[in-house]
Amino acid sequence: MLIRSLPFVKTVVLWAFIAFACLPLVQMTIISFIATLPKPGVDVGSMTLRNYAGIWEDANLRSAFINSIAYVFINICITIPVAIPAAYAFSRMSFVGDKHLFLAFIAFRITPPVVLTLPIFQLFSSLGIVNSVFGIALAHCLFNLPISIWILQGFISAIPKEMDETAFLDGYSRPRFIWKVLLPQIAPGIAVTAFFCFMFSWVEVVFARILTTTNGKPISMAINALFGFQTDIGLVMAVAAASMMPGAVLLFAMRNHLSRGFKIGKV
Amino acid sequence: MKDSTNTGWIFVLPAVLVLGLVGLVPLITVINYSFFEIFILDARFWIGTEWYDAIIGSERFWASFGRSTLFSMLVLLIQIPLGIAIALCIPRRKFWIGVTLAVVALPLLVPWNMIPSLWLSLLDPDTGILGRILPSMGWPVDWKLSVVHTWLVIIVMDVWHWTSLVVILCYSALTIIPASYYQAAAIDGAGPWQVFRFIQLPKLYHVLLMAILLRFMDSFMIYTEAFPINAGGPNGATMFLAVDLGEEIKAFNYGPSAARSVLYFMIILMVAWMFSKAQGKLDDGSSGKAT
Repeated sequence: MLIRSLPFVKTVVLWAFIAFACLPLVQMTIISFIATLPKPGVDVGSMTLRNYAGIWEDANLRSAFINSIAYVFINICITIPVAIPAAYAFSRMSFVGDKHLFLAFIAFRITPPVVLTLPIFQLFSSLGIVNSVFGIALAHCLFNLPISIWILQGFISAIPKEMDETAFLDGYSRPRFIWKVLLPQIAPGIAVTAFFCFMFSWVEVVFARILTTTNGKPISMAINALFGFQTDIGLVMAVAAASMMPGAVLLFAMRNHLSRGFKIGKV
Repeated sequence: MKDSTNTGWIFVLPAVLVLGLVGLVPLITVINYSFFEIFILDARFWIGTEWYDAIIGSERFWASFGRSTLFSMLVLLIQIPLGIAIALCIPRRKFWIGVTLAVVALPLLVPWNMIPSLWLSLLDPDTGILGRILPSMGWPVDWKLSVVHTWLVIIVMDVWHWTSLVVILCYSALTIIPASYYQAAAIDGAGPWQVFRFIQLPKLYHVLLMAILLRFMDSFMIYTEAFPINAGGPNGATMFLAVDLGEEIKAFNYGPSAARSVLYFMIILMVAWMFSKAQGKLDDGSSGKAT
Protein backbone atom coordinates (compact mmCIF):
# COMPACT_ATOMS: atom_id res chain seq x y z
CA MET A 1 0.00 0.00 0.00
CA LEU A 2 2.71 2.40 1.11
CA ILE A 3 4.95 1.44 -1.78
CA ARG A 4 2.21 1.74 -4.37
CA SER A 5 1.41 5.29 -3.28
CA LEU A 6 5.08 6.36 -3.35
CA PRO A 7 5.00 8.16 -6.74
CA PHE A 8 1.94 10.08 -5.56
CA VAL A 9 3.64 11.05 -2.28
CA LYS A 10 6.70 12.17 -4.21
CA THR A 11 4.67 14.44 -6.45
CA VAL A 12 2.87 15.97 -3.48
CA VAL A 13 6.13 16.59 -1.58
CA LEU A 14 7.74 18.16 -4.63
CA TRP A 15 4.79 20.47 -5.30
CA ALA A 16 4.63 21.46 -1.65
CA PHE A 17 8.31 22.39 -1.75
CA ILE A 18 7.93 24.32 -4.99
CA ALA A 19 5.00 26.22 -3.47
CA PHE A 20 7.15 27.01 -0.43
CA ALA A 21 10.04 28.15 -2.64
CA CYS A 22 7.76 30.41 -4.68
CA LEU A 23 5.70 31.90 -1.84
CA PRO A 24 8.01 34.83 -0.95
CA LEU A 25 8.57 35.44 -4.67
CA VAL A 26 4.83 35.63 -5.27
CA GLN A 27 4.56 38.11 -2.41
CA MET A 28 7.40 40.14 -3.95
CA THR A 29 5.78 40.15 -7.38
CA ILE A 30 2.37 41.19 -6.03
CA ILE A 31 3.77 44.13 -4.06
CA SER A 32 5.96 45.20 -6.96
CA PHE A 33 2.77 45.93 -8.92
CA ILE A 34 1.10 47.92 -6.13
CA ALA A 35 1.51 51.62 -5.49
CA THR A 36 2.72 51.89 -1.91
CA LEU A 37 3.48 55.61 -1.65
CA PRO A 38 1.18 58.44 -2.73
CA LYS A 39 2.19 59.70 -6.15
CA PRO A 40 0.31 61.93 -8.58
CA GLY A 41 -2.21 60.01 -10.62
CA VAL A 42 -2.06 56.72 -8.71
CA ASP A 43 -3.99 55.77 -5.58
CA VAL A 44 -2.12 54.00 -2.83
CA GLY A 45 -2.95 50.32 -2.97
CA SER A 46 -3.99 50.23 -6.61
CA MET A 47 -2.38 48.15 -9.30
CA THR A 48 0.28 49.98 -11.24
CA LEU A 49 3.31 49.59 -13.46
CA ARG A 50 4.74 52.75 -11.95
CA ASN A 51 7.28 50.91 -9.82
CA TYR A 52 8.89 49.29 -12.82
CA ALA A 53 8.81 52.57 -14.70
CA GLY A 54 10.46 54.09 -11.62
CA ILE A 55 13.48 51.83 -12.03
CA TRP A 56 13.99 53.11 -15.54
CA GLU A 57 13.56 56.75 -14.54
CA ASP A 58 16.02 56.62 -11.63
CA ALA A 59 19.57 57.18 -12.89
CA ASN A 60 21.05 55.57 -9.73
CA LEU A 61 19.09 52.38 -10.23
CA ARG A 62 19.96 52.22 -13.91
CA SER A 63 23.66 52.59 -13.22
CA ALA A 64 23.35 50.03 -10.39
CA PHE A 65 22.15 47.44 -12.91
CA ILE A 66 25.04 48.27 -15.21
CA ASN A 67 27.53 48.09 -12.31
CA SER A 68 26.22 44.71 -11.20
CA ILE A 69 26.44 43.27 -14.69
CA ALA A 70 29.92 44.75 -15.13
CA TYR A 71 31.45 43.36 -11.94
CA VAL A 72 29.91 39.93 -12.36
CA PHE A 73 31.23 39.83 -15.92
CA ILE A 74 34.74 40.91 -14.84
CA ASN A 75 34.66 38.37 -12.02
CA ILE A 76 33.83 35.57 -14.46
CA CYS A 77 36.59 36.75 -16.81
CA ILE A 78 39.12 36.49 -13.98
CA THR A 79 37.80 33.33 -12.36
CA ILE A 80 37.38 30.98 -15.32
CA PRO A 81 40.82 31.36 -16.98
CA VAL A 82 42.53 31.07 -13.60
CA ALA A 83 40.41 28.13 -12.46
CA ILE A 84 40.77 25.96 -15.58
CA PRO A 85 44.52 25.20 -15.31
CA ALA A 86 44.20 24.76 -11.54
CA ALA A 87 41.27 22.36 -11.94
CA TYR A 88 43.26 20.46 -14.57
CA ALA A 89 46.23 20.17 -12.23
CA PHE A 90 44.08 18.95 -9.30
CA SER A 91 42.32 16.48 -11.57
CA ARG A 92 45.30 15.00 -13.41
CA MET A 93 48.52 15.60 -11.51
CA SER A 94 49.77 14.88 -8.07
CA PHE A 95 52.32 17.35 -6.81
CA VAL A 96 53.96 18.16 -3.50
CA GLY A 97 51.36 19.74 -1.22
CA ASP A 98 48.36 19.32 -3.54
CA LYS A 99 46.05 18.10 -0.77
CA HIS A 100 47.07 20.92 1.55
CA LEU A 101 46.59 23.45 -1.19
CA PHE A 102 43.10 22.17 -1.91
CA LEU A 103 42.35 22.37 1.81
CA ALA A 104 43.56 25.99 1.83
CA PHE A 105 41.29 26.77 -1.13
CA ILE A 106 38.32 25.20 0.63
CA ALA A 107 39.15 27.19 3.77
CA PHE A 108 39.02 30.41 1.74
CA ARG A 109 35.68 29.39 0.19
CA ILE A 110 34.11 28.98 3.60
CA THR A 111 35.68 32.12 5.04
CA PRO A 112 32.77 34.51 5.47
CA PRO A 113 33.45 37.87 3.78
CA VAL A 114 32.79 39.69 7.05
CA VAL A 115 35.99 38.19 8.51
CA LEU A 116 38.15 39.82 5.85
CA THR A 117 36.23 43.02 5.08
CA LEU A 118 38.47 45.44 6.97
CA PRO A 119 41.87 44.37 5.56
CA ILE A 120 40.45 43.90 2.07
CA PHE A 121 39.08 47.43 2.21
CA GLN A 122 42.51 48.74 3.25
CA LEU A 123 44.40 46.66 0.71
CA PHE A 124 42.08 47.70 -2.09
CA SER A 125 42.20 51.37 -1.16
CA SER A 126 45.99 51.29 -1.26
CA LEU A 127 45.74 49.62 -4.67
CA GLY A 128 43.24 52.29 -5.69
CA ILE A 129 40.42 49.92 -6.64
CA VAL A 130 37.71 50.79 -4.10
CA ASN A 131 34.52 52.35 -5.44
CA SER A 132 35.03 50.56 -8.71
CA VAL A 133 33.45 47.46 -10.17
CA PHE A 134 36.91 45.95 -10.55
CA GLY A 135 37.42 45.90 -6.77
CA ILE A 136 34.22 43.94 -6.12
CA ALA A 137 35.01 41.58 -8.99
CA LEU A 138 38.42 40.80 -7.50
CA ALA A 139 37.13 40.44 -3.92
CA HIS A 140 34.50 37.95 -5.06
CA CYS A 141 37.25 35.66 -6.34
CA LEU A 142 37.70 34.71 -2.68
CA PHE A 143 34.69 32.41 -2.84
CA ASN A 144 34.12 32.03 -6.60
CA LEU A 145 37.59 30.78 -7.48
CA PRO A 146 37.61 27.78 -5.08
CA ILE A 147 34.08 26.77 -6.05
CA SER A 148 34.94 27.09 -9.77
CA ILE A 149 38.02 24.93 -9.37
CA TRP A 150 35.89 22.35 -7.60
CA ILE A 151 33.16 22.29 -10.28
CA LEU A 152 35.60 22.27 -13.22
CA GLN A 153 37.69 19.60 -11.57
CA GLY A 154 34.63 17.34 -11.56
CA PHE A 155 34.04 17.93 -15.27
CA ILE A 156 37.69 17.31 -16.18
CA SER A 157 37.84 14.13 -14.08
CA ALA A 158 34.83 12.82 -16.02
CA ILE A 159 36.92 12.83 -19.22
CA PRO A 160 38.91 9.62 -19.68
CA LYS A 161 42.61 10.00 -19.07
CA GLU A 162 43.38 8.13 -22.32
CA MET A 163 42.47 11.29 -24.19
CA ASP A 164 45.34 13.19 -22.59
CA GLU A 165 47.74 10.39 -23.38
CA THR A 166 46.78 10.08 -27.06
CA ALA A 167 47.13 13.84 -27.42
CA PHE A 168 50.58 13.78 -25.84
CA LEU A 169 51.62 10.97 -28.21
CA ASP A 170 50.44 13.17 -31.07
CA GLY A 171 52.90 15.76 -29.89
CA TYR A 172 50.62 18.13 -27.99
CA SER A 173 52.12 20.01 -25.07
CA ARG A 174 49.99 20.27 -21.94
CA PRO A 175 48.94 23.91 -22.46
CA ARG A 176 48.14 23.24 -26.12
CA PHE A 177 46.21 20.11 -25.13
CA ILE A 178 44.13 22.14 -22.65
CA TRP A 179 43.41 24.81 -25.25
CA LYS A 180 42.72 22.60 -28.28
CA VAL A 181 41.30 19.38 -26.86
CA LEU A 182 40.15 19.85 -23.29
CA LEU A 183 38.31 23.17 -23.55
CA PRO A 184 35.84 22.09 -26.25
CA GLN A 185 35.15 18.93 -24.20
CA ILE A 186 34.33 20.77 -20.99
CA ALA A 187 32.43 23.65 -22.62
CA PRO A 188 29.18 22.81 -20.76
CA GLY A 189 31.21 22.68 -17.55
CA ILE A 190 32.56 26.14 -18.19
CA ALA A 191 29.04 27.42 -18.78
CA VAL A 192 27.82 25.85 -15.52
CA THR A 193 30.80 27.29 -13.64
CA ALA A 194 30.18 30.74 -15.07
CA PHE A 195 26.56 30.46 -14.01
CA PHE A 196 27.47 29.60 -10.42
CA CYS A 197 29.99 32.48 -10.35
CA PHE A 198 27.23 34.76 -11.56
CA MET A 199 24.84 33.46 -8.94
CA PHE A 200 27.13 33.74 -5.92
CA SER A 201 28.53 37.09 -7.02
CA TRP A 202 25.26 38.76 -8.00
CA VAL A 203 23.65 38.34 -4.59
CA GLU A 204 26.64 39.01 -2.34
CA VAL A 205 26.37 42.13 -0.21
CA VAL A 206 29.13 42.29 2.42
CA PHE A 207 32.05 43.03 0.08
CA ALA A 208 29.77 44.99 -2.21
CA ARG A 209 28.84 47.27 0.68
CA ILE A 210 32.30 47.94 2.08
CA LEU A 211 33.96 48.38 -1.32
CA THR A 212 31.45 50.87 -2.74
CA THR A 213 30.96 53.84 -0.45
CA THR A 214 30.61 56.53 -3.10
CA ASN A 215 30.70 54.97 -6.52
CA GLY A 216 30.14 51.76 -8.40
CA LYS A 217 27.20 50.65 -6.24
CA PRO A 218 25.63 47.36 -7.35
CA ILE A 219 21.89 46.59 -7.26
CA SER A 220 21.87 45.22 -3.72
CA MET A 221 23.34 48.48 -2.41
CA ALA A 222 21.01 50.57 -4.54
CA ILE A 223 18.13 48.70 -2.89
CA ASN A 224 19.61 49.48 0.53
CA ALA A 225 19.70 53.15 -0.38
CA LEU A 226 15.95 53.04 -1.08
CA PHE A 227 15.18 52.24 2.55
CA GLY A 228 14.63 55.41 4.52
CA PHE A 229 12.13 57.45 6.48
CA GLN A 230 9.38 56.69 3.96
CA THR A 231 10.27 53.55 2.11
CA ASP A 232 8.55 52.95 -1.20
CA ILE A 233 8.29 49.22 -0.63
CA GLY A 234 6.61 48.74 -3.99
CA LEU A 235 9.64 50.17 -5.74
CA VAL A 236 11.96 48.08 -3.54
CA MET A 237 10.13 44.90 -4.52
CA ALA A 238 10.12 45.93 -8.19
CA VAL A 239 13.90 46.42 -8.10
CA ALA A 240 14.34 43.07 -6.36
CA ALA A 241 12.12 41.36 -8.92
CA ALA A 242 13.97 43.03 -11.78
CA SER A 243 17.32 42.06 -10.25
CA MET A 244 16.29 38.42 -10.41
CA MET A 245 15.41 38.60 -14.09
CA PRO A 246 18.88 38.13 -15.64
CA GLY A 247 19.54 35.23 -13.27
CA ALA A 248 16.19 33.63 -13.98
CA VAL A 249 16.78 33.83 -17.74
CA LEU A 250 20.23 32.25 -17.35
CA LEU A 251 18.80 29.66 -14.97
CA PHE A 252 16.22 28.52 -17.52
CA ALA A 253 18.78 28.54 -20.30
CA MET A 254 21.10 26.39 -18.16
CA ARG A 255 18.46 24.17 -16.60
CA ASN A 256 19.47 20.93 -18.30
CA HIS A 257 23.13 21.38 -17.38
CA LEU A 258 22.58 22.50 -13.78
CA SER A 259 22.59 19.11 -12.19
CA ARG A 260 25.80 18.18 -13.94
CA GLY A 261 27.67 20.99 -12.27
CA PHE A 262 28.64 19.13 -9.17
CA LYS A 263 30.11 15.82 -10.24
CA ILE A 264 32.11 14.69 -7.29
CA GLY A 265 35.67 13.67 -7.83
CA LYS A 266 38.52 12.77 -5.59
CA VAL A 267 41.32 15.18 -5.00
CA MET B 1 46.48 7.06 -11.57
CA LYS B 2 47.57 10.69 -11.54
CA ASP B 3 50.87 11.87 -12.95
CA SER B 4 53.31 12.63 -10.21
CA THR B 5 54.86 15.86 -11.35
CA ASN B 6 55.55 19.15 -9.70
CA THR B 7 54.75 21.07 -12.89
CA GLY B 8 51.27 20.98 -11.35
CA TRP B 9 52.34 24.00 -9.34
CA ILE B 10 52.71 26.04 -12.54
CA PHE B 11 49.09 25.28 -13.38
CA VAL B 12 47.77 26.24 -9.96
CA LEU B 13 50.04 29.29 -9.69
CA PRO B 14 47.55 31.85 -11.06
CA ALA B 15 44.90 30.63 -8.62
CA VAL B 16 47.42 30.74 -5.77
CA LEU B 17 48.35 34.33 -6.69
CA VAL B 18 44.74 35.55 -6.86
CA LEU B 19 43.75 33.85 -3.60
CA GLY B 20 46.99 35.06 -2.04
CA LEU B 21 46.01 38.61 -2.85
CA VAL B 22 42.37 38.51 -1.76
CA GLY B 23 42.72 35.86 0.95
CA LEU B 24 46.16 35.41 2.40
CA VAL B 25 47.38 39.03 2.46
CA PRO B 26 44.23 40.28 4.25
CA LEU B 27 44.47 37.34 6.62
CA ILE B 28 48.04 38.19 7.57
CA THR B 29 46.98 41.81 8.01
CA VAL B 30 44.29 40.89 10.54
CA ILE B 31 46.67 38.58 12.39
CA ASN B 32 49.08 41.50 12.64
CA TYR B 33 46.42 43.98 13.80
CA SER B 34 45.04 41.62 16.38
CA PHE B 35 48.03 42.16 18.66
CA PHE B 36 47.86 45.96 18.65
CA GLU B 37 45.84 48.76 20.16
CA ILE B 38 45.11 50.94 17.14
CA PHE B 39 43.65 54.45 17.24
CA ILE B 40 44.77 55.49 13.82
CA LEU B 41 46.77 53.16 11.64
CA ASP B 42 50.01 55.17 12.05
CA ALA B 43 49.91 55.09 15.84
CA ARG B 44 49.65 51.65 17.37
CA PHE B 45 50.83 49.89 20.49
CA TRP B 46 51.75 46.29 20.96
CA ILE B 47 49.46 44.81 23.57
CA GLY B 48 50.03 41.12 23.03
CA THR B 49 47.05 38.85 23.42
CA GLU B 50 44.88 41.28 25.36
CA TRP B 51 42.10 41.38 22.74
CA TYR B 52 42.01 37.60 22.61
CA ASP B 53 41.78 37.37 26.40
CA ALA B 54 38.97 39.90 26.41
CA ILE B 55 36.98 38.02 23.75
CA ILE B 56 37.51 34.52 25.06
CA GLY B 57 36.87 35.69 28.61
CA SER B 58 33.57 37.37 27.73
CA GLU B 59 30.28 35.65 28.35
CA ARG B 60 28.83 37.44 25.34
CA PHE B 61 31.22 35.63 22.99
CA TRP B 62 30.36 32.20 24.34
CA ALA B 63 26.65 33.01 24.32
CA SER B 64 26.80 33.96 20.62
CA PHE B 65 28.98 30.93 19.98
CA GLY B 66 26.33 28.70 21.56
CA ARG B 67 23.52 30.35 19.62
CA SER B 68 25.38 30.05 16.31
CA THR B 69 26.16 26.39 16.99
CA LEU B 70 22.53 25.64 17.82
CA PHE B 71 21.38 27.52 14.73
CA SER B 72 23.79 25.64 12.44
CA MET B 73 22.76 22.29 13.92
CA LEU B 74 19.06 23.01 13.39
CA VAL B 75 19.73 24.24 9.87
CA LEU B 76 21.71 21.11 9.00
CA LEU B 77 19.15 18.79 10.61
CA ILE B 78 16.40 20.29 8.46
CA GLN B 79 18.14 21.18 5.20
CA ILE B 80 20.19 18.05 4.60
CA PRO B 81 17.36 15.47 4.96
CA LEU B 82 14.91 17.81 3.21
CA GLY B 83 17.38 18.40 0.37
CA ILE B 84 17.88 14.64 -0.08
CA ALA B 85 14.14 14.03 0.02
CA ILE B 86 13.39 16.69 -2.60
CA ALA B 87 16.22 15.44 -4.82
CA LEU B 88 14.66 11.96 -4.67
CA CYS B 89 11.26 13.40 -5.61
CA ILE B 90 12.44 15.08 -8.80
CA PRO B 91 10.64 13.51 -11.75
CA ARG B 92 12.38 11.28 -14.28
CA ARG B 93 11.34 12.95 -17.51
CA LYS B 94 14.01 15.25 -18.93
CA PHE B 95 11.75 18.21 -19.57
CA TRP B 96 10.46 18.27 -15.98
CA ILE B 97 13.91 17.76 -14.46
CA GLY B 98 15.17 21.02 -15.94
CA VAL B 99 12.05 23.00 -15.11
CA THR B 100 11.89 21.70 -11.53
CA LEU B 101 15.56 22.41 -10.85
CA ALA B 102 15.29 25.90 -12.29
CA VAL B 103 12.22 26.76 -10.19
CA VAL B 104 13.70 25.24 -7.05
CA ALA B 105 16.90 27.28 -7.55
CA LEU B 106 15.09 30.63 -7.77
CA PRO B 107 15.59 31.58 -4.09
CA LEU B 108 19.36 31.49 -4.67
CA LEU B 109 19.03 34.49 -7.00
CA VAL B 110 17.56 36.93 -4.50
CA PRO B 111 20.06 39.55 -3.28
CA TRP B 112 20.90 38.63 0.30
CA ASN B 113 19.90 41.93 1.81
CA MET B 114 16.44 41.52 0.24
CA ILE B 115 15.81 38.16 1.87
CA PRO B 116 14.85 39.49 5.33
CA SER B 117 12.75 42.19 3.64
CA LEU B 118 10.92 39.53 1.63
CA TRP B 119 10.11 37.51 4.72
CA LEU B 120 9.11 40.52 6.79
CA SER B 121 6.83 41.55 3.96
CA LEU B 122 5.41 38.03 3.80
CA LEU B 123 4.64 38.22 7.53
CA ASP B 124 3.18 41.72 7.38
CA PRO B 125 -0.26 41.55 9.05
CA ASP B 126 -1.83 43.94 6.50
CA THR B 127 -0.29 43.04 3.14
CA GLY B 128 1.60 39.79 3.68
CA ILE B 129 0.27 36.47 2.41
CA LEU B 130 1.35 34.61 5.55
CA GLY B 131 0.77 37.58 7.83
CA ARG B 132 -2.93 37.52 6.99
CA ILE B 133 -3.37 33.74 7.30
CA LEU B 134 -1.13 32.83 10.24
CA PRO B 135 -2.80 34.83 13.05
CA SER B 136 -5.96 32.76 12.62
CA MET B 137 -3.79 29.69 13.25
CA GLY B 138 -2.44 31.01 16.52
CA TRP B 139 0.57 32.96 15.27
CA PRO B 140 0.98 36.02 17.53
CA VAL B 141 0.90 39.41 15.82
CA ASP B 142 3.72 40.59 18.09
CA TRP B 143 5.91 37.59 17.21
CA LYS B 144 8.98 39.81 17.41
CA LEU B 145 8.68 39.71 21.20
CA SER B 146 8.91 35.93 21.27
CA VAL B 147 12.24 34.12 21.13
CA VAL B 148 10.75 30.92 19.69
CA HIS B 149 8.88 32.70 16.91
CA THR B 150 11.87 34.81 15.89
CA TRP B 151 14.07 31.72 15.72
CA LEU B 152 11.38 29.96 13.72
CA VAL B 153 11.21 32.77 11.18
CA ILE B 154 15.00 32.88 10.74
CA ILE B 155 15.26 29.10 10.39
CA VAL B 156 12.39 28.86 7.89
CA MET B 157 13.96 31.74 5.99
CA ASP B 158 17.32 29.98 5.82
CA VAL B 159 15.66 26.71 4.80
CA TRP B 160 13.88 28.59 2.03
CA HIS B 161 17.07 30.30 0.90
CA TRP B 162 19.52 27.41 0.90
CA THR B 163 17.78 24.03 0.67
CA SER B 164 17.85 24.45 -3.13
CA LEU B 165 21.62 24.21 -3.12
CA VAL B 166 21.47 20.90 -1.24
CA VAL B 167 18.82 19.68 -3.71
CA ILE B 168 20.98 20.55 -6.73
CA LEU B 169 24.06 18.94 -5.19
CA CYS B 170 22.23 15.74 -4.23
CA TYR B 171 20.42 15.49 -7.52
CA SER B 172 23.67 15.77 -9.47
CA ALA B 173 25.11 12.90 -7.44
CA LEU B 174 21.99 10.75 -8.04
CA THR B 175 22.24 11.17 -11.81
CA ILE B 176 25.58 9.34 -12.01
CA ILE B 177 24.17 6.08 -10.62
CA PRO B 178 24.13 3.59 -13.54
CA ALA B 179 20.71 2.19 -14.45
CA SER B 180 22.09 -1.34 -14.05
CA TYR B 181 22.28 -0.82 -10.26
CA TYR B 182 18.56 -0.20 -10.12
CA GLN B 183 17.86 -3.20 -12.37
CA ALA B 184 19.96 -5.43 -10.13
CA ALA B 185 18.09 -4.12 -7.09
CA ALA B 186 14.74 -4.81 -8.79
CA ILE B 187 15.82 -8.38 -9.54
CA ASP B 188 16.80 -8.86 -5.91
CA GLY B 189 13.37 -7.57 -4.90
CA ALA B 190 14.72 -4.58 -2.99
CA GLY B 191 12.15 -2.10 -1.73
CA PRO B 192 12.45 1.67 -2.09
CA TRP B 193 14.05 2.00 1.36
CA GLN B 194 16.71 -0.60 0.54
CA VAL B 195 17.41 1.05 -2.81
CA PHE B 196 17.90 4.33 -1.00
CA ARG B 197 19.97 2.88 1.83
CA PHE B 198 22.31 0.68 -0.21
CA ILE B 199 22.44 2.28 -3.66
CA GLN B 200 21.53 5.95 -3.55
CA LEU B 201 22.84 7.03 -0.14
CA PRO B 202 26.40 5.69 -0.62
CA LYS B 203 26.64 7.66 -3.88
CA LEU B 204 25.57 10.78 -2.00
CA TYR B 205 28.26 10.66 0.69
CA HIS B 206 30.83 12.82 -1.11
CA VAL B 207 28.38 15.46 -2.17
CA LEU B 208 26.66 15.47 1.22
CA LEU B 209 29.98 16.10 2.88
CA MET B 210 30.44 19.16 0.69
CA ALA B 211 26.85 20.27 1.29
CA ILE B 212 27.29 19.90 5.06
CA LEU B 213 30.54 21.86 4.95
CA LEU B 214 29.06 24.73 2.93
CA ARG B 215 25.81 24.87 4.84
CA PHE B 216 27.49 24.56 8.24
CA MET B 217 29.95 27.37 7.65
CA ASP B 218 27.51 29.71 5.93
CA SER B 219 24.89 29.30 8.62
CA PHE B 220 27.43 29.43 11.46
CA MET B 221 28.57 32.82 10.18
CA ILE B 222 25.13 34.07 9.11
CA TYR B 223 25.25 37.85 8.99
CA THR B 224 23.33 39.71 6.32
CA GLU B 225 20.10 37.76 6.53
CA ALA B 226 19.49 37.12 10.20
CA PHE B 227 20.07 40.52 11.78
CA PRO B 228 17.41 42.63 10.02
CA ILE B 229 14.63 40.18 10.92
CA ASN B 230 14.53 41.28 14.52
CA ALA B 231 17.74 43.29 15.13
CA GLY B 232 19.24 40.37 17.04
CA GLY B 233 16.33 40.43 19.46
CA PRO B 234 14.32 39.84 21.47
CA ASN B 235 16.93 40.57 24.14
CA GLY B 236 19.81 39.42 21.98
CA ALA B 237 18.30 35.95 21.53
CA THR B 238 19.24 35.93 17.84
CA MET B 239 22.65 37.60 18.12
CA PHE B 240 24.92 35.27 16.15
CA LEU B 241 28.71 35.22 16.00
CA ALA B 242 29.17 37.30 12.87
CA VAL B 243 26.91 40.09 14.13
CA ASP B 244 29.37 41.08 16.87
CA LEU B 245 32.17 41.18 14.34
CA GLY B 246 30.09 43.23 11.94
CA GLU B 247 29.33 45.77 14.66
CA GLU B 248 33.01 46.16 15.56
CA ILE B 249 33.98 46.60 11.92
CA LYS B 250 31.32 49.27 11.48
CA ALA B 251 32.82 51.09 14.49
CA PHE B 252 36.32 50.68 12.98
CA ASN B 253 37.69 48.98 16.11
CA TYR B 254 40.72 47.56 14.32
CA GLY B 255 42.26 45.57 17.18
CA PRO B 256 39.21 43.77 18.60
CA SER B 257 37.68 43.11 15.19
CA ALA B 258 40.99 41.70 13.95
CA ALA B 259 41.31 39.42 16.97
CA ARG B 260 37.75 38.25 16.42
CA SER B 261 38.45 37.63 12.72
CA VAL B 262 41.47 35.52 13.63
CA LEU B 263 39.47 33.49 16.15
CA TYR B 264 36.74 32.90 13.57
CA PHE B 265 39.31 31.95 10.97
CA MET B 266 40.75 29.38 13.37
CA ILE B 267 37.29 27.85 13.68
CA ILE B 268 37.07 27.83 9.86
CA LEU B 269 40.45 26.11 9.52
CA MET B 270 39.45 23.49 12.06
CA VAL B 271 36.22 22.77 10.18
CA ALA B 272 38.07 22.61 6.85
CA TRP B 273 40.59 20.24 8.37
CA MET B 274 37.87 17.94 9.75
CA PHE B 275 36.26 18.07 6.31
CA SER B 276 39.46 16.92 4.59
CA LYS B 277 39.88 14.14 7.17
CA ALA B 278 36.34 12.97 6.56
CA GLN B 279 36.89 13.13 2.82
CA GLY B 280 40.07 11.10 3.18
CA LYS B 281 38.14 8.43 5.09
CA LEU B 282 35.45 8.33 2.39
CA ASP B 283 38.06 7.99 -0.35
CA ASP B 284 39.82 5.16 1.51
CA GLY B 285 36.49 3.43 1.99
CA SER B 286 35.48 3.64 -1.67
CA SER B 287 38.88 2.68 -3.07
CA GLY B 288 39.06 -0.22 -0.59
CA LYS B 289 35.81 -1.56 -1.97
CA ALA B 290 36.92 -1.14 -5.57
CA THR B 291 40.02 -3.32 -5.22
